[in-house]
Amino acid sequence: MRVQLRHRLGYLTALLVALALPQVIYPGLALDIVVWGLFAVSLDLLLGFGGLLSFGHAAFWGSAGYAAGLAAKHLGVPFPVAVLAGVTVAVLLALPIGYLSIRRQAIYFAMVTLAFAQMLFYVTNEWRGLTGGENGLQAIPRTFPGLTLPSGSAAFYYAALPLALLGYWLAWRAVHSPFGHVLVAIRDNEARAQALGYPTRRYKVLGFVLSAALAGLAGSLFALGHGFAALELLHWTTSGLVVMMVILGGVGTLWGSVIGAAVVLLLRDWLSTSTLTLAGVSLKDAWGVVTGVIFVLIVLSFRRGVWGTLLQLRLPRGGSRPAPRAGQTTAGGPSAADGG
Amino acid sequence: MDTRVDRQEQATGRLGRRAFLTRAGSLGLAAAGLGGLLAACGGAPTATTAPSSAAPAATTGGGATAAPASTAASAAASSSASAPASAAAAGASASPVRPGPVRLVAGKVVLAVINDQSGVYADLTGKNSVRSVQMAVDDFKAKYGPNVFPGAIEVIDADHQNKPEVANTKAQEFYDRNGANVILDLPTSSAALAVAGVAKARKKLYINISGATTELTGAQCNRYTFHYAYDTWMLANGTGTYVTEKVGKKWYILYPNYAFGQDMDKSFREAIEKSGGTVIASKATPFPSTDFSSFLLEVPSAKPDVLGVMHAGGELITIAKQYNEFKLRDQKIPLAIGLMFDTDIKAIGADSLAGTVYTTAWQWNLDEQARAWSDKFKALTNVRPTFAHAGNYSAAWQYLEAVLRAGTDEADAVVKALEGYSFSDFFIRNGRIRAEDHRVVHDAYQAQVKPTKEAKEDFDFSTVINTIPAARAFRPVGAVACKLD
Repeated sequence: MRVQLRHRLGYLTALLVALALPQVIYPGLALDIVVWGLFAVSLDLLLGFGGLLSFGHAAFWGSAGYAAGLAAKHLGVPFPVAVLAGVTVAVLLALPIGYLSIRRQAIYFAMVTLAFAQMLFYVTNEWRGLTGGENGLQAIPRTFPGLTLPSGSAAFYYAALPLALLGYWLAWRAVHSPFGHVLVAIRDNEARAQALGYPTRRYKVLGFVLSAALAGLAGSLFALGHGFAALELLHWTTSGLVVMMVILGGVGTLWGSVIGAAVVLLLRDWLSTSTLTLAGVSLKDAWGVVTGVIFVLIVLSFRRGVWGTLLQLRLPRGGSRPAPRAGQTTAGGPSAADGG
Repeated sequence: MDTRVDRQEQATGRLGRRAFLTRAGSLGLAAAGLGGLLAACGGAPTATTAPSSAAPAATTGGGATAAPASTAASAAASSSASAPASAAAAGASASPVRPGPVRLVAGKVVLAVINDQSGVYADLTGKNSVRSVQMAVDDFKAKYGPNVFPGAIEVIDADHQNKPEVANTKAQEFYDRNGANVILDLPTSSAALAVAGVAKARKKLYINISGATTELTGAQCNRYTFHYAYDTWMLANGTGTYVTEKVGKKWYILYPNYAFGQDMDKSFREAIEKSGGTVIASKATPFPSTDFSSFLLEVPSAKPDVLGVMHAGGELITIAKQYNEFKLRDQKIPLAIGLMFDTDIKAIGADSLAGTVYTTAWQWNLDEQARAWSDKFKALTNVRPTFAHAGNYSAAWQYLEAVLRAGTDEADAVVKALEGYSFSDFFIRNGRIRAEDHRVVHDAYQAQVKPTKEAKEDFDFSTVINTIPAARAFRPVGAVACKLD
């Protein structure tokens, strides 16, 4: 009972933070945090709960971004419809990609997903007539009947927020449903889950597609929010960045991913105009090094990520379970129950 | 210049950086690193406001300790040296500036520079372009008096890290929150175009200097976007025409297979055929590539007069080295290069490129006026300027004078003051800002790389051998549709 109350308070706080965010920081950056957060959550769904490390999640984020952009630009549809188009494309891509890649495990799975993402990257780069090549798809309109939504404005942030929240809710729902529990069971011991009669492969494909759909939702909002889709969306560094966000926040904690995303994006934003110097080298020049050092520090000192460590501190002594290592052990269950 | 180098750097450079990071991490993060981080965190609140403070000397963070003294010195010197020179030149061909009361919308003028300060373009433009803009502001104040505007002139800057979304967000933030009047520079074509969209939406000025894409004055053009120094059409047309007329008519072209390379190939072909040459073969190389030997070995059998290479950055360096390894020059197949910067020549070595012809927007030792400015720049930064550095100074200066002419910094009035304006300065010769598509047309140059033994000083890489008059240097108006709205 008390736990439930505490959870409700937690959700309420999160909602208030989400609503107040564009008042505190620049609205464009606030939207970035919300959508990258959702992207990271979608990956955590797969990594933390399915135990599958996808290193090609940019494929869904990017292809949905392009699809949403094309729908908005050439068909002139209102932005929620464009988002729907983006999600649809992500799902359609995820079905074959997921079906093929879940046949492999661990590092092989990561490599197969990376290969698919790279294929998409090259196709997008070459298909200039449609995607604009490395110039990107520019000047994507955001139309909504009766509203003007300039990019980087608080107006678009609030228009996009309900869709993003829907995505977050779906992720939470999936984790707390019987489906989510089966996914965790498969992650922990696939043979036993199979012996219990679960069609594990089908569950994994479904988890993969769900994760891709959420990544697609995030990618569509991102492209529409910025008003363009560029090749960067599909680049492998994007896949890497989102993995980094999840690990920073805490694998298998769902909401930790949002914190990881916020840390990375705020840091990047701050470093891009920072005037600080360290031993004669401007931090701005060395933003990659600074981000990397902070990443190393967090991984070394908070083994479960920022949020994961906080949760562990709150668990009653003795009641804690073995530390999760990249979603390999049991963290999903307890942290999922407590993480809300 | 645009993303092809960027991609390559992501393929190779980033890996290097990652590897470096891991190593740095495993060193146990020496106390220095920790201390620095703490300082970084502690300093955060001040850092967010620092870039917008109107520092009279240098605004850039890096090396700021050394900068103020030299800035002061050179600013004093400059007021009698090159600023009046450029202003005098401007006065000669343009309507005189009328220094009158100026009305400022927000009480100050803010020039924002967004470029790559940490990646592949950091040397080419980077924070030295920010200094260059600050130089322009200082010289402007020296010429027209410190109180020329009823408010401060500020320079702010951001590193877009070659990411279009960072450029996009920073541009919005600069316009909305920092009151930026104009955004300058912007290398990397996807980032350059993303910011053009922001300028259009916010109805604020944007002068692109180091972006190469012709889209800025083509399909993506808009009322508030200007393209200042160069573009792919200018490069291709310049080299294609000159080399066909002077060196040889039968071309063999190699280009990297992505937007920039395809554009260059198309523009080169047009220029070559217009000047009576033929393209006997044009081959696309997969992008990115680290080995071009199979392509280069096929070249001699086709017996071309010229080999045209459209690669850039790291790929250009590789292909030029392999060209020398296979001794194509000895087989009487001279090399023509689509896009090359002084930094590339430095990396490849002037001797391997000796005799190669390329097109450029400006050269630091073009003439006395250019050299005078370059000396001043060198005193401040210790390097010779690229045309991107010079272009940033020139664009900032022209913007400030346009505000003076308009009598206000209100964007539409400044756009009007810029449109159709003719001028010359140390960077732009016989320049005119086309009202139709906001392309700034000016004289361009053919340069030829000279062997190191002929170099008289550092950075003396090439000789200007031909001037392409402004009227023929850039894509004619109406070649592609551009609706300024």
